[in-house]
Amino acid sequence: MNDEKKDIEKDFEPKIVGFLCNWCSYAGADLAGTSRIQYPPNIRIIRVMCSGSVDSMYILRALLEGADGVFVGGCHPGDCHYIDGNYKARRRMVLLQNILATLGLEKERVWIRWISASEGQKFADTMKEMTEAIKKLGPNPISKKWNI
Amino acid sequence: MVKQKILEVKNSDVTGTVNDFLKNLLKSGKISALLVSQSVPSRKVVFPVLISDPDKLDAKVFAPLLPASTSKIVSKITKFQPSDKPLGVVLHPCQIRALIELVKLNQANLNNIIIIGVDCLGTFSLNTYADFPEKKNPIDFILDDFKSNSDKSEQFLRSACVVCNQPVPINADIIIGLFGMDINKEILIEAVSDSGIKILEDLKLDTFKDVKKREKYIEDLIGNRTKKLAAFIKDKTGNIDIESLTSFFDKCVNCHNCMNVCPICYCRECLFDSSVFDAEANKYVKKSESKGLFKLPNDSLLFHLGRMNHMILSCVKCGLCEQGCPMNIALMDVFIPAAENAQKEFKYQPGKNRDEKVPMVVYREDEYVEVGEK
Repeated sequence: MNDEKKDIEKDFEPKIVGFLCNWCSYAGADLAGTSRIQYPPNIRIIRVMCSGSVDSMYILRALLEGADGVFVGGCHPGDCHYIDGNYKARRRMVLLQNILATLGLEKERVWIRWISASEGQKFADTMKEMTEAIKKLGPNPISKKWNI
Repeated sequence: MVKQKILEVKNSDVTGTVNDFLKNLLKSGKISALLVSQSVPSRKVVFPVLISDPDKLDAKVFAPLLPASTSKIVSKITKFQPSDKPLGVVLHPCQIRALIELVKLNQANLNNIIIIGVDCLGTFSLNTYADFPEKKNPIDFILDDFKSNSDKSEQFLRSACVVCNQPVPINADIIIGLFGMDINKEILIEAVSDSGIKILEDLKLDTFKDVKKREKYIEDLIGNRTKKLAAFIKDKTGNIDIESLTSFFDKCVNCHNCMNVCPICYCRECLFDSSVFDAEANKYVKKSESKGLFKLPNDSLLFHLGRMNHMILSCVKCGLCEQGCPMNIALMDVFIPAAENAQKEFKYQPGKNRDEKVPMVVYREDEYVEVGEK
């Protein structure tokens, strides 16, 4: 059993859902691609107009449906196309992580990072970093729960 | 003028004394109508009524029952147009806090509203109140219990009330006070705001003198309850994990009643009642294939966590969600700890400051810098 578990964990490829803002992070990911920078293919990118438009609902749904991690990417503070969307996204993330921590769920599975349109390398590095971190955490235990 | 006055209690009839006071307000035209709890004809329970005829007033201000969110009722009455005439609303402290939150969320208008807050002795659930097992009626029971300084009524209190550390009204215009008073003889009537002072100024009442005694009583009570609250949170979240959380909502039938009775959940159409999560048959099958099986109706944990994310910073811990749950899920076990922790994080106390905005609509550039960095 233990050996089997170890094997599963060794081959474990996390599924990460990423919400990237149209103006910065999505363009950053695009730049990483056009610059042919290699990064782990674990992220499934969803383009949104602003990190401030990502309701906690979307993040929770991804987690409960079995995503191993959720990534939110926005413009650097002060650079938001809509002036303050990322500041609001940051507050929402603090609230969500606070609630997850209270309820004994793993808040480490939810990330928010600022990546600008010119930071293709930073996007690739962040993806490497997050994939490694989620691999260490192991599969999301909620993904096996069918009674939720 | 003197802000704190006393109502003399005749024949130990506390309820009658307050009713005379309220009748006077109605008769004098200082208020045109009053929202207050009154026994239904069967006398089984009390419900809020909007009363304008002083002769029909038979209010039960001290009834230990909160059958529905009275703050939501004030919202319903005032959200389209503020009242032209002065309207008195007698509210529990938690409902005043909820009303202040609804005002901040543009769901209620306090123009011409006179908030009359009552020191809260705690409330029983609707069923406990309706089928009260003791010989006395619940109102006499809790008042006698208070007079004799015993805690016999605690066994009947809703869990939210047992750990409530805000039983004294804040943000009221007038407070009807019991704490620290010898209620066989007198009740406190305190004017807090300008409109409260205007109403009380020409009433010929004695000045309240024993301020220290009341302050000491309240300090002890709040200290005691705060300890209970901390112990409650420690007890409920000490061993919480994914296993216990997912089985916590096992009995949930997705009726969404907790949302309907919540004073803070004001959305006319809730996301969870909409068709946002509806999908084609093929998607259901695909979801089934990914886990092998899944429970239906689905998304009950998503509903509770999502609702919590939307309302928890304004949660006043009134416990109406738990009272409204047909399956008796002890919702306060998760909502009280979540509310305490989240509100502490944002240093926000719902219902405390009328001018402070709710945390999710404001921000500071230099806060939580570490959250987006690493």
